[in-house]
Formats: sequence, structure tokens, C-alpha cells
Amino acid sequence: MDILLGLATVFSSPALLGWVVLAALVGMVVGAIPGLTASAAIAMLLPVTFYMEPLSALAFLYVIGKSGRYGGSIAAILFNTPGTAASAATQIDGYPLSQRGLSSKAMKVATVSSIIGDFTGELLLIAGVGVIAAIALKLGPPELFAIYVAAFVVIGSVIGKSVVKGLASAALGVLIQMIGTDPISAVERFTFGSYDMLNGIGLVPLMIGMFVLAEVLSQIENRGKTIEQYEEPSSDEARARNRLTWTEYKPCMPHVIRSSFIGAFIGMLPGLGSAIAAFVAYGEGKRRAKNSEDWGKGALEGVAAPEAANNAVSGPSMAPLLTLGIPGSTIGAILVGVFLIHGIQIGPTLFLTSRELVYSLFAAGLVGIAAYGLIGFYGAAFVGRFITRIPTDILYPLIFLTSFVAAYSSRGSLFDVWIMVVAGFFGWMMKKLDFNPAAFVIAFVLAGGAEETFRQSLLLSDHGLLIFVTRPVALGFLSLGVATVFLRARALSREARAAALEDA
Amino acid sequence: MSRRLNSATIVGGALLIFGFISGYYSLQISAEADGSTGARTFPYIGAGIITLMGVLETLRGVRTAAAPLALTKRPVSIIGLMAVAIAYVWLITKIGYLFSTAVAAPLAMWMFGMRSPLGLIATAILCPAVYHFIFFELLGVFPPYGEWIDLLDILQGG
Repeated sequence: MDILLGLATVFSSPALLGWVVLAALVGMVVGAIPGLTASAAIAMLLPVTFYMEPLSALAFLYVIGKSGRYGGSIAAILFNTPGTAASAATQIDGYPLSQRGLSSKAMKVATVSSIIGDFTGELLLIAGVGVIAAIALKLGPPELFAIYVAAFVVIGSVIGKSVVKGLASAALGVLIQMIGTDPISAVERFTFGSYDMLNGIGLVPLMIGMFVLAEVLSQIENRGKTIEQYEEPSSDEARARNRLTWTEYKPCMPHVIRSSFIGAFIGMLPGLGSAIAAFVAYGEGKRRAKNSEDWGKGALEGVAAPEAANNAVSGPSMAPLLTLGIPGSTIGAILVGVFLIHGIQIGPTLFLTSRELVYSLFAAGLVGIAAYGLIGFYGAAFVGRFITRIPTDILYPLIFLTSFVAAYSSRGSLFDVWIMVVAGFFGWMMKKLDFNPAAFVIAFVLAGGAEETFRQSLLLSDHGLLIFVTRPVALGFLSLGVATVFLRARALSREARAAALEDA
Repeated sequence: MSRRLNSATIVGGALLIFGFISGYYSLQISAEADGSTGARTFPYIGAGIITLMGVLETLRGVRTAAAPLALTKRPVSIIGLMAVAIAYVWLITKIGYLFSTAVAAPLAMWMFGMRSPLGLIATAILCPAVYHFIFFELLGVFPPYGEWIDLLDILQGG
């Protein structure tokens, strides 16, 4: 019922509808540009949304995140370069299809699969988020702290090549969040006598630095590399071959349904994200496929499975964010900033205080999926051609300049611009040294809540830290964190040993 | 480069140093009077984890022959762009947004490969004007004024 009211809100507001459609287009284009991600676009556009209505701002950025994930498939299929990490699995079968002159067909499969996956994820979110929020309301500070710890550990250890560097990235995020005045005791921490540091490090300049300036630095290293597109034949016969029929798509359906649920499940777990979902779905699809020998050589199912999974992540990744205040992805971390700027407290009480806004956001998500689906189905090839014509010697300098004014606009502070510059260099270094910028940023966002619940727990406890062991739910989440580190370290150690044996 | 001085030992060493420094400054944060958990606990835990990760990474570097540290093949481009970034922010504080962007925009374009003099001049004029209009006029953000001189001051007759 709530979602119907949400849909009515979206359709009765032409301005909101316009923002959603614009976001679908912007996200698709940004996602399709190799190197640029939806996170970068959202970080850059974040200050602009401060001047919008809360629902329009959230819907605009939320839909950019969705269509950005889909847009990555355009670059993967057409240019053999994944537009986003999440579309790297799509490239395996997408580009061989392009080489056979079937890029339009591959993009149509990617579009249909993406929207099925995204709708599945969004509907699961709508159906389940209220239940999760009701459960979350019953959790006390010890349980919440244990969930935060599990999130830190999962985010730090599961993504990336190194558990050590992942956990170090998360710990760095925690330390940077500690800069400023302690909200409980008003004690100064790491301020070194600087007045500007008293307010702490802003999320917006940090995000812009880590995801925008860092990417511009990466792009200047790749200067001179041109995007190459496999030219699609334009004859009538080629156009006929590129039409997608139900008979062709039917074998993809079991993979799309399975992958949608894989993506939705992975989406609920903080920090794992679309890239992991896409590769898990691809691996599982290939294992179960009747034509597994065709996968990797241009199988339509090999495009459908990862695309359904990486888009199915989008909706459920909002569940931990909205119910517990734990962002499941970098896009979620940025959305935390939007909620805070507009004075909306995220967490289980959100469903009591801003229920209408939440369901209107979900409704905007559904409309956004339909919008990017329609634009993508009929216009993905055009978007691809448009991207090859964007001169990178103009695009990246403009992004560079925008990052400064966007960082300044968040609080009208030049200190924030300095933060952005430092964060940009730091983010570039992190990528170069195989650290984990996503873990850093998510940990930065989580650290405040984690510290608050930790201190509240100890105030509640008569036996100090034992409170985390005597409460079953808290103990369960802490055990999950320990088990995750152990299993991940063991898996990486096995991989390293296998690689060493191969080298020998 | 010595076999022991590889990417893992360098990164591990840097983490150790950062961990120790942040641990030291965590101890400088005022403790609660009754000795209970206070403002220094979380920073101290963070510093401890970084130090521990530094030890583990250094040990990995000592035990195995990790790859030598190689950050970029284009250090001049990276240093150049960072220099432009730092100079740009500094210039904003001294000569305001419009003048500094008129300097930084063509520099950034040139670094990314634009060589057309006409294009660079157009950039120097259009970028400050467009950004100023969008952010400071349309969105109403208060612009950063320069300490020495500011074109906006002159235009507004200040």
C-alpha cells in the first residue's frame, strides 16, 4: 500500500519525474564512460542536490546509482573495457558478441536482464525492508556495535586482493572519522590546534577526492589511449540479425532469475557490492549451463547472468543503510550524506518518522529502472557512439575543475577543498597500492555510529566488554566477523600457494 | 633495490609509522577522569589495528619476494597535476575564484593534451564564467573572495 502512495507521489510531481528520467540518462552515460563510475558522478553532483527537495535529491542520486551500474555494460560490450567494476563479468561474453557484429543484440540482452534484476531487487527491498526495520528497532547498542564490527570486517576483508590492506583501509577510515571534537565529551581529537579541524573531515570533500580527483589522476596516466569501438555493420541484414527475439532470450531466463536472487542476497551484505555479485552469478551460471562451452566466446546467457546480478544488488543494498544506518556500498555511503544534509536521521526509526519519503524513494527507483530500461533498449548504441566522440582532453579537465567547486560548495569552505585535494592523492595512492578505497569510505561513515554504540554499551554493562559476549545476537555478529577474516585469509593463502606452485 | 625493500615492506613500514604516530597522538587525547572508556579508546583501537596490519605486511615482505614498489609510469604527469591542484586552491585564497580558474583551466586542459591556443584561451574565459554562473549565481553558494585582488570585487564596484 505504501508503495502505491509512493508511486502516486512520483507520478503527480512532474519535477520529480523529470529528475528521475534525467538521472537515468546521466547515470547511463557516466557508467558507460570507462574510468568514470556512478560513485564519482554522485559525489560530484552531491553539492548540487543540497539545493533540491529531499525526495528529489535522494531519488536523483539513487537512480544515477542504478543506471550507472547498467551503463557499465555498454562500455564492456562495445569497447572491451568495463565502464564499472561491476560490468567486468559482462565483458567476457559481451565483447565477443560485438566482434561478431552482434553488439546491439548483446546490449538488448544486458538491458532486459538488468531491468529484471533491478526490479527483483527493488521489489524484495520493498517487501522486506519493513520487517528488517521492525527487527532493527529491537536491537540495543551492544547488538548494533557487533553489527558495525561485522560490517567493518566484512568490508575490509572480502573486497580486494589483500585482507591486511583491506582491514588497514577500514582502520584508516575510522581514524580519519575521529578527527575533530568528540560528540560525547567535547574533547578535541587529532585537531593539532587547527580551528578548521574542530568540525572534523567532511564526507562530501572526502568522497569527491577519493572518487573524482583520484580518477582524474588515474586518467592522466592513461592519457593518449583512445576508446576503440568495434564497428557494427549497418546493413539491413545486420540490423535484422541484431533484433532480439523471445526464442533467443528464453534460454537466458533461468540464469536471469537465479542471478537476480544471487545479486539481491549479496546486496544485503554490507560492502560486497555489484562486482562480486556479477562474478558469482557468472560462475554459477556457467557451472549450471547446458552450453557452458560457449560461455566466454559470446553466449547471450553469459551477458544476461552478470547483468541481472549486478543490478539486483542496487535495491537490497539500501536495506542495511535505511534500517541500521550501515551503507552497503560507496553509493550508499554518499546517500548517508544526503540524508544528513536534509536533516533526516537514518536507522530503524526512519520508517516511523519518514515512511512516506522512504516509499516514495523506492517508487522513484522503480520508475528509474523503467526509464533507463527504455532509454537503454532503444538508445544504448547511440550512447556508445556518443561516448567515443567525447574528447577526453576536455572531459577530464572539466571533471578536475568541477571537483574543486563541488567540494567548496558543500560547506562554502576552502578547507574542504584542501581536504578534497589530499583525499584525491590519497585515493589514487590507495588504488595503486591495492588498498581498498571503498572500505576506507564506508568505515569512515560507520565509525561515528560504531563508537557511539560501543560507549553506550559499556555504560549499560556492569562487566565491561563482556556485554558483547553475553548477548547472543552480538556474539553471533562478532563471531561472523572473526569467521570471515579467518576464511578469507585461508582462501587467499591457498590462492597464493597455488600461484607459487604454478610459477615453480 | 634490495630484495627485502619491496612493495610489501615499504607499505608495511609506512603503516607501522602511521600506526605509531596516530597511537602516540591518541594517547594525547584527554582520558576520562574515572579512567573509563572515553574519547581516546576508538582512535587508539584504530591506531592499534593499523600497527598490527603494518607488522603483518612487513613480515609478508620479509618472508616472500613481493614485487618492487612502482606507483606510476608517468610521475611527471601526476606531480604536475597535483601541483596545479595545490596552486589552484592557493590562488583561490589570494586572487579569488574567477582569476584562479582562468589560470587553472587552460593548464589542466594543456596537461590532458589540448594544444590549440584558441581552445586554451576560450577555456580561460568560459570555465570561470560558466562555473561562476552555475554555482555562485544559480545555486547561490557564497563565492570565495581573494585576499589580494578579486575580479568579482572589481565587477561589483567594491
